[in-house]
Amino acid sequence: MKSHRKKRLINVLLLSALSGAGVLMVLYALNSNLDYFFTPSELLTEEIPSNRRVKVGGMVQKGSVKRDNSTINFTITDYNKTVDVSYIGIVPDLFKEGSGVVVLGYLNNGEVDAEKVLAKHDENYMPPALQDK
Amino acid sequence: MIADISHYLSILSTAIFMLTFSLVLVLDRSAAHSTLLIKRSYSHAFFLFLISFLLYVYLALTDNFSVSYIAQHSNSLLPNFYKVTSIWSAHEGSMFLWIVFLSLWGFVFNLYNDNNLNVKNLSIGIISIIIVGFQLFLLVTSNPFEIVLPFAPENGADINPVLQDPALAIHPPTLYLGYVGFVIPFAYSLAFLINGNKSLNWEKKVKSWSVMAWVFLTIGISLGSWWAYYELGWGGYWFWDPVENVALMPWLAATAFIHSLSVASKSNVLRIWNLLLSIIVFSLSLFGAFIVRSGIIDSIHSFANDPQRGMYLLAFIAIILFVSLGLFISRFSMFDSSKNIKSLSKESFISLNNIFFGVLIFSTMMGITYPLIYELLYSQKISVGAPFYNAIYAPITILATVMLVVSIDSKWGRTIDIKGSFSMLYVSLAISLVGLVAIGYFIGEMPFIIMLSFFMGLVIIFRYSILVISNFLHKKYTNIPSVLAHTGLGLLILSISANSILSSEKVFNMKPNETRSFQNITVRFSELELLNNSNHDSIRATFSINSEGKSFFLSPEKRKYFARGQITSETAIKIMPFKDIYLTIGEQLDNGQWVVNVQLNYFIRFIWLSAAMMALSGLVIIKNIIRTKA
Repeated sequence: MKSHRKKRLINVLLLSALSGAGVLMVLYALNSNLDYFFTPSELLTEEIPSNRRVKVGGMVQKGSVKRDNSTINFTITDYNKTVDVSYIGIVPDLFKEGSGVVVLGYLNNGEVDAEKVLAKHDENYMPPALQDK
Repeated sequence: MIADISHYLSILSTAIFMLTFSLVLVLDRSAAHSTLLIKRSYSHAFFLFLISFLLYVYLALTDNFSVSYIAQHSNSLLPNFYKVTSIWSAHEGSMFLWIVFLSLWGFVFNLYNDNNLNVKNLSIGIISIIIVGFQLFLLVTSNPFEIVLPFAPENGADINPVLQDPALAIHPPTLYLGYVGFVIPFAYSLAFLINGNKSLNWEKKVKSWSVMAWVFLTIGISLGSWWAYYELGWGGYWFWDPVENVALMPWLAATAFIHSLSVASKSNVLRIWNLLLSIIVFSLSLFGAFIVRSGIIDSIHSFANDPQRGMYLLAFIAIILFVSLGLFISRFSMFDSSKNIKSLSKESFISLNNIFFGVLIFSTMMGITYPLIYELLYSQKISVGAPFYNAIYAPITILATVMLVVSIDSKWGRTIDIKGSFSMLYVSLAISLVGLVAIGYFIGEMPFIIMLSFFMGLVIIFRYSILVISNFLHKKYTNIPSVLAHTGLGLLILSISANSILSSEKVFNMKPNETRSFQNITVRFSELELLNNSNHDSIRATFSINSEGKSFFLSPEKRKYFARGQITSETAIKIMPFKDIYLTIGEQLDNGQWVVNVQLNYFIRFIWLSAAMMALSGLVIIKNIIRTKA
């Protein structure tokens, strides 16, 4: 093999190895930072470590909203199973009993400590996972 | 009647853009008379479309609710300003404006004479056919001219209240101007490839166009960030929402592009890379349109969920990519790779910078598309949020800034002289270390990555300050745009780090006349009023705040809009030199107390200031190019 060809081959191999390593690193970063989306029923059947951030979506159960100082507690239902949520902060304007909600947070003794509560910017919104039910 | 005229003019314009494209195909593109014909044909098509749009604005202003889109998104109670901006508050009107801007860029480009007639005419042809593609998309899948029959509603629905805002009125147009502006470098580089004469310096020709589009994109993204900050009530400036990310990707690609445009003449490898980048930038802009307009990704921004629109756009992007990449590959042999880049030369650093931008774009693209792929494979819904992006962006940015400060001493076409070069860098490192100790003294303990960011931000700013001073003393030339933009980057890194570590918030339950305190700030709930306005009622809570010996009032509101019955919150913000005091109220509790959120957002203004510095640097580049031409 001629020397400049050999050099080019080495360059190409090096470049492929580097990009491969880069892609693997990005994938690794992705996999360790995913937020899984669950309905309350799924949440109860899956094993989820407490340091894993989860997204839980469903409807705010009627009559479940309680406030205690700056903490707000409520229950998310998928009309099958329920899960309790506690949150410190201001809930969005569209948050109300009987309408759709998505919370982002960590599991703690079967309860979700929410970091963020999202109500869809649309009064007719229904979480996609509940649409067929 | 006027709606029909507006509609017909759009159809006619599409036909004439198609004619323009055909003229480019059949005429002798190097002849002066055909150039004139093509130019006129394009201008006619453009003016027809512009008049169609202006008529549409008139329809919106005069509350012509027989047009279904206007009836759904405007209201007779709206101020005139918002009647106009309601046009781009939803899908159809946004697409309409998008195409107006697309054809406007082509029109301005068309006004300039180019001594290479063939390439100029080819570019106009490419721009025309892209416009036709979008016009058909508008007329077939997203027709804004549809009429409500037989009776028009009296008042119309309303523009979403959170969109009734001056920043949001100008944010989409600026963003669209940026997105579609990259059609010029895209069309010109394709024309260059078709023409096949490699001695043509297309990179120089498209530079000012690309920088201008980049300036619009920078301002558009910043306006969106600013709006989200004060309107959504979360107090953040960036949420890594898919819609923000699809605007960030073309911005990153365009930033890489305008960096490497200036070094294209130095190496053939970089010339090839530039051609590819011009295709990537424009495709990413179109990809942004696809993501936002197809509603494929669950986002607070997604406007419409219409598979037909998504499929059309996806097919359109696929065709554009297929044709342009095919052309690119077939002309690959135009360049030999004999002219290699010297290692540790200025161009080698710019190539490296392009790799960093590439990694960021790739990761962002993965973050956006991975949930879709994952759901297809495992039928498990996932989302990718801030932790992933922080894990990628922080280290890559720090690496890139290390290369940036080293590259300042590098020379064109020559390897850096390691012994004699870095004296000014060492001085800046020393000053920055002192600065870091001072910051550490004020802030206390902080994570390592934040410490590194502070340090690199300081190094950039000091290194460029020393450069400016030394150039001034030695009466040497200073590249002002470069200094401005990179100092802006340094400031951006500093302010993001400071914001993330210093900012804090607290939620209180308060009744009128109660007082709470938080981090040297006292908040007194002084008054609650009910107000009636033209299109909404509101509850206004007034707080008297005492911070650092200064007293002032802040009045956040809750509003209820009549037309849709929608409730919104208005934040109240006091801007101080280094921090914002940011107040929102939630709902009233059963015991009469109100939920009140107090946030201290540090250095947030400096984030937008640094974006403004970057935009300004682009304007200086354009001014310099125009001056050297004149």
